[in-house]
Amino acid sequence: MKNKQHSKPRLLWLQSISCNGNAHSFLNHPDLFSILSHFELVYHPILETKHTLQDILKCETECDILIIEGSLKEKGLMKAGVEVSSVIKHYASIATHIISAGTCATFGGMFKQYDPEHITGFCFDGEVQTTRYEQYAQKLISLPGCPIHPKWLGFVLMMIVQNRPIAKDSLHRPLELYAPTVHTGCARNEYFEWKVDTEGFGLKEGCLFYELGCQGPYTHGSCNKILWNDISSKTIAGTPCFGCTEPDFPKTTLFETETRMGIPATMPLGIPRRAYLTVTGVVKSFRIKRFEERLISYDD
Amino acid sequence: MMIKKLIEKIEGEAELDFTLQKGIVEDVRIRFGFYRGIEEILVGKAPRDALVITPRVCGICNHAHLLAAVSALENGYENAGIAVALSSKARYIREFTLACELIQNHMKWFYMTILPQLERLTQSENGENHALKASYLSGVITKALAIFAGQWPHSSYAVPGGVTCDPTYIDVMQAATLVDESIRFFEQVVIGMALEEYMQIDAVGNLHEVKGDLGNVLYLLGTHGIAEYGKSHDRFIAFAEGLGMQSGKSIATTVSKIDVRYVQEWVQEKSMAKAVSYKDRMYETGPLARAMVNKIPIIKSLHKRYKDAVLTRVFARVHEGVMLLSYAKEVLQKLDLSEPSCTLESRLLADTFEGTGVVEAARGSLIHKIKVEDKKISHYDIIVPTQWNLSAGTDQEKGVAIKAMIGAKSMEEASFLFRTFDVCSVCTTQ
Amino acid sequence: MKIADKKALKRESIIQTALQLFSTNGFHKTTIPDIAAKLGMSVGNLYNYFSSKDLLAQEIIRYTSEVLGEKIKEVNMLDVSAEEKVHKIVEIYFSMAKEKPEMIEYFLRVYLSNREVFSDGCEGMVCVSGFITEIMIFFDDAVSSGELRNQDFFSAFGLFMGYLGGMVFLKGEGVLPKDIACYIDDISRNIYYALKA
Repeated sequence: MKNKQHSKPRLLWLQSISCNGNAHSFLNHPDLFSILSHFELVYHPILETKHTLQDILKCETECDILIIEGSLKEKGLMKAGVEVSSVIKHYASIATHIISAGTCATFGGMFKQYDPEHITGFCFDGEVQTTRYEQYAQKLISLPGCPIHPKWLGFVLMMIVQNRPIAKDSLHRPLELYAPTVHTGCARNEYFEWKVDTEGFGLKEGCLFYELGCQGPYTHGSCNKILWNDISSKTIAGTPCFGCTEPDFPKTTLFETETRMGIPATMPLGIPRRAYLTVTGVVKSFRIKRFEERLISYDD
Repeated sequence: MMIKKLIEKIEGEAELDFTLQKGIVEDVRIRFGFYRGIEEILVGKAPRDALVITPRVCGICNHAHLLAAVSALENGYENAGIAVALSSKARYIREFTLACELIQNHMKWFYMTILPQLERLTQSENGENHALKASYLSGVITKALAIFAGQWPHSSYAVPGGVTCDPTYIDVMQAATLVDESIRFFEQVVIGMALEEYMQIDAVGNLHEVKGDLGNVLYLLGTHGIAEYGKSHDRFIAFAEGLGMQSGKSIATTVSKIDVRYVQEWVQEKSMAKAVSYKDRMYETGPLARAMVNKIPIIKSLHKRYKDAVLTRVFARVHEGVMLLSYAKEVLQKLDLSEPSCTLESRLLADTFEGTGVVEAARGSLIHKIKVEDKKISHYDIIVPTQWNLSAGTDQEKGVAIKAMIGAKSMEEASFLFRTFDVCSVCTTQ
Repeated sequence: MKIADKKALKRESIIQTALQLFSTNGFHKTTIPDIAAKLGMSVGNLYNYFSSKDLLAQEIIRYTSEVLGEKIKEVNMLDVSAEEKVHKIVEIYFSMAKEKPEMIEYFLRVYLSNREVFSDGCEGMVCVSGFITEIMIFFDDAVSSGELRNQDFFSAFGLFMGYLGGMVFLKGEGVLPKDIACYIDDISRNIYYALKA
């Protein structure tokens, strides 16, 4: 870290327009306090900290790593009479690392939809760079997800502590976390391979991509690789992936797959439609008995 | 004299304008600053998008929002003539996950709000990391929740007709073990005694047996003379049934029936939070209200002595945590995995309908109202527990928390009383 | 010419000869020696290319479907309206029926009538995927541009291909009073109006 006089990097967590979900998600990290022991926690919206929000709003506190939670509005979000966006920009300019935690802070997310023209992410408005991008992009790490996965943030914080470079994509997302799709590791992969649709909600059998709106095959994220709450994921629990890490989250009609003459409107990431349809046509021609049956029956 | 104070770490912030007379709190105005527009965001969306959007109202009680939204949709289906017969498996799973979220929330409030604030107020800080305990318990119990719901926060696993998961006994056994681990935590850390013995306590006279951190809080409240502060209207309301509890209202310990149609909501001056009343009167909602409506013996006994003061309110919430753990365990026992998880088809079953869903969230009754026209949401209304507890009140009477704060001897004391209601700023400014 | 290329050419000529014999004389009446004789090659050598008559039959359908698929792919790549594409696909189908009647005849009289021959190795769409994929892409594009109405794939596919197959069948039976090409405009319009948004 740059500030040698400080033994531990100073971590500041600021909220803009948010639901607190990222803060609560991170609070579930099983190694939370081991991770935090590497930092001096300047301010956090839930945890006890040295400084109060009143102190922070004065813009006189030092900080090395800034975590931003929530969507940004240039004017109109005040805390104790102070414009929050200006406070965030101040700390962003003195920090050595900026982490946009969650989809709201990264792309605008859920709350952007209330006022799409004025509410954005910190450096991105959807996929488009905001005017802030130029100034802060160099130190920006995007961690979209609604909410953020606690392990993803923990990983990035530890990489920063150990001074290791983090490989990122064009939207500043760490490749290790966002290069795979949510589909990677999904417990229903076998059904996807053989194009076996689930027969409805509440079944462990079948794939959710064809009818029930699952966006896993084209959503960047490692939800099925690094499990949620160390135990599950949406698709494992039979819920479609809603693409919550993506710049266009949330889309609408989230429990239905948009199809055109029965063909999914969005192809799995990077797969040419012709290739997908060829494989689908072939695979669907076979009836695999095992996939037509329930895996387990508790009836007797 | 008017003094403004920013109250933070209440799932966001609120601004309190205190009117002080010789240091004593004479009146308080509560303001929430920023409206996020979830109700407007929902308009024009597909009805079931509410299952994804409304949990994003709140990072700590998101699951209650999901369940309120699904109840509103199901009620709407029924109003449109579509029978919704949940399997008991689906009902129990929903109850289980809701109980888990409540336990998580109660313990975060206890360890991250009440204990540190009370220690500060009474100058008895000992440097202990209470948040570590909150984080541990939250991690354990939300893991149990996630077994069924896929994740916490922000699951959308409840859909009209049931739940999306299809658990096996591996899941049920893991969940049971995590509940046991939470019970162990309560026994060793929160109450300092065996659960069975604790459940025997039904009168104030035996409360001294409670040890652990709850025992410590009771001690601090008692010895610093705070226990009897924070009395309000002594009127309670709980709209939803479930979690082993009934709905109703309690006035002067008399419990009677209620109807959600008599709930009124209105916009308050200078605040982004809407106020709410039942037949023009202010009611407290939350764990204390549920305990009073359900006549829980130990809470009745406490109430007899302390009325709706801080001690009763704080104890009721932790006590509910203990009861919910036992309830969660019972519910897992009752799960019959041969039943279907979801009994309705996976497509949208009605184009136009109106429905209301009510759920008991950690902080009290949560109401969702949905109106759907031509397959699109045309109106959505969310009434959150904090609106009941923190509204400014009517011309006739003060809001619940305001009344509790009036008479406090300092702003610090008033702020503590304010926090005993467990304010949720983000819910209030949805 | 390399040996591999020579073999590929030979393979194709076997397919084309067999195609002709199967569609004119019928699948069951045509024997491997008949095909070998027509090609002027030994039966043993023919078996080096195709180990059974069934396998040869399957290969023919795959070959036919790919030829047709390639042509429709060219239409799919054009920047023209769905209405024009319908017209072009109908044109392709009918001109094939005219110029290479054995291909369509084979599809109708051999493939659809002798399903047992194709049940092992040519299930469902496996052997016709070259053609089906392009039809799917045509539909997908046309719905996405708003020109055709969104519906189930098979309800649209059945209308389109059932109609064309029926016309070719009538032609094969010799009952069409006019040249099949005369019907292209009307049939294209009928298909387009039935499917349009």
